[in-house]
Amino acid sequence: MSDVVEKTLTALPGLLSLDSQTGAGKLSSTSKLGNLIRSITELTSKHDEEKLIKRELVAIKEQVSSPNTTMRQMKEMMVRSIYCEMLGYEADFSYIHAIKLAQQGAGLEKRVGYLAVSLFLNENHELLLLLVNTVLKVSVFELLLLVNTVLKDLQSTNLIEVCMALTVVSQMFPKDMIPAILPLVEEKLTHPKEIIRRKAVLALHKFYLIAPNQVQHIHSKFRKALCDKDPGVMAASLHIYLQMIKEGAEAYRELAGSFAAILRQVVGGKLPVEFNYHSVPAPWLQIQLLRILTLLGKDDQSTSELMYDVLDESLRRAEINHNITYAILFECVKAIYTIHPNAELMEKAAKCIGNFVLSPKINLKYLGLKALTYVVQQDANLALQHQMTIIECLDHSDRIIKRETLELLFRITNAQNVTVIVEKMLAFLRLCHEDYTIMDLVGKVAELAEKYPFRITRPPHGWKPHTYYILLAY
Amino acid sequence: MIKFFLMVNKQGQTRLSKYYENVDISKRAALEADVVKGCLSRRKDECSFVEYKDYKLVYRQYAALFIVVGITDTENELSIYELVHNFVEVLDKYFSRVSELDIMFNLDKVHIILDEMILNGHVVETNKSRILAPLLVLDKMVES
Repeated sequence: MSDVVEKTLTALPGLLSLDSQTGAGKLSSTSKLGNLIRSITELTSKHDEEKLIKRELVAIKEQVSSPNTTMRQMKEMMVRSIYCEMLGYEADFSYIHAIKLAQQGAGLEKRVGYLAVSLFLNENHELLLLLVNTVLKVSVFELLLLVNTVLKDLQSTNLIEVCMALTVVSQMFPKDMIPAILPLVEEKLTHPKEIIRRKAVLALHKFYLIAPNQVQHIHSKFRKALCDKDPGVMAASLHIYLQMIKEGAEAYRELAGSFAAILRQVVGGKLPVEFNYHSVPAPWLQIQLLRILTLLGKDDQSTSELMYDVLDESLRRAEINHNITYAILFECVKAIYTIHPNAELMEKAAKCIGNFVLSPKINLKYLGLKALTYVVQQDANLALQHQMTIIECLDHSDRIIKRETLELLFRITNAQNVTVIVEKMLAFLRLCHEDYTIMDLVGKVAELAEKYPFRITRPPHGWKPHTYYILLAY
Repeated sequence: MIKFFLMVNKQGQTRLSKYYENVDISKRAALEADVVKGCLSRRKDECSFVEYKDYKLVYRQYAALFIVVGITDTENELSIYELVHNFVEVLDKYFSRVSELDIMFNLDKVHIILDEMILNGHVVETNKSRILAPLLVLDKMVES
């Protein structure tokens, strides 16, 4: 978004009647949606908002039930309902109409119907759990209408409808209905268009997340997706693989070579230029691959050895000074310190962490501290090397930096420094207002008090009781 | 994973909200107000990642609009920080220099774009052309 241009409210009347902007919606000045939005921008109090939205909901409720409503008008009503729900006011009478819009609409109307369905309904909704419940907002019949609509669209000759159906399936789909839809989705895995194959893989990812046993039999198809000539389809399969590998790396170690090869190609700039982000080739894909490699190389020397060269290459290539390359470097460093150790790589990674921690850019410093916290258990020397910076960070004006530093210190506590560290934690606690942070730090202080019971001589009664007294104050 | 994706202005008015983990509708407004308060209290020279409850927020400000993403601790903060920027660049491409009003008047389209990028709290597409392709097809269908 440009810092220079921000359309002001005075331009609003013009916007409402003009129809020339590329991509921007055409709204007539009499359109109800346009009126709603204009009113929303003019709201000054919560009370006004409540009045406006309640009126709006009454109007929508009346209009959706009218038999003369066109699909175009229905689309507009769904967007108005989405607005109301976004502001926190339920528009449950609209849910069934969203399903009908998806069923009966075409193109953008259909897409908005599906969008509304994905926003209004969610996995925990009584509807999707098919619980028989007197408070059902939509009947079982109407749920089946949704499923039927999706099934029909999946088989459409219009590819954009297939895409829409696959997208909504990936967002929310009743678990019990998976068997009905699985064969149709599987079929799409071999579709000539990459977008269809990619979305089919993502739908299977969703199925894997909510009902893994339902997709047990098609693991070989995931393998095909991984080897797909289109990088987008391959990237989609990584979501499934990452999940499966998190659950048990052993079974997938044999694929480490393939993942390393893919990363090598990405890092080496073999992807089409449109996959670049600020001259960095597919950075989020690199991060995904690094995470997978990390899990596969952990506790396994031979697998780790397969990835040393690509990690080295990634470290070297990420020399452009952009946030996204720093994000990649962070993942590289984590990988290097998790897999079987390689001295040369660890030295380079240590240097990288050092650069982060010493950086004047605050986001990098944060990342550096986070990386240090991660590696310090394996390389205590690294913390020692940067102790001056760590001490500075302890008194940093940014409380988040302070917090990260305390997190780091907690991991390098020993009999000599425990007193100082606990004092710093208590000092932080005194100024802290967030419940979760307080609970976490209090827990850590208590843990340290248990571990090092009599480390200081002041106050005279011994350290442990004194500290507990302060902790009780929370 | 990503828990939610919010666009909230400095006055605390939500311009877009997408939840990838269910949060009851009655609790959302409070969460959003809380989140934006947390971001507003940050200075310009402070880092863009804030602790919130038992997870983290990554925020980025564009004019009067905050984009705030709630993430679990398995996520790389800086990669999400840049994801937000990628998203804004996609919006810029589609709307030719997007503004807060563009988002308000085209809420459905902004959602459609976001749906191409993030699914189930995971980053699924970051190639700008591919993100916009389906929407452009839909726009063409409307024109004809």
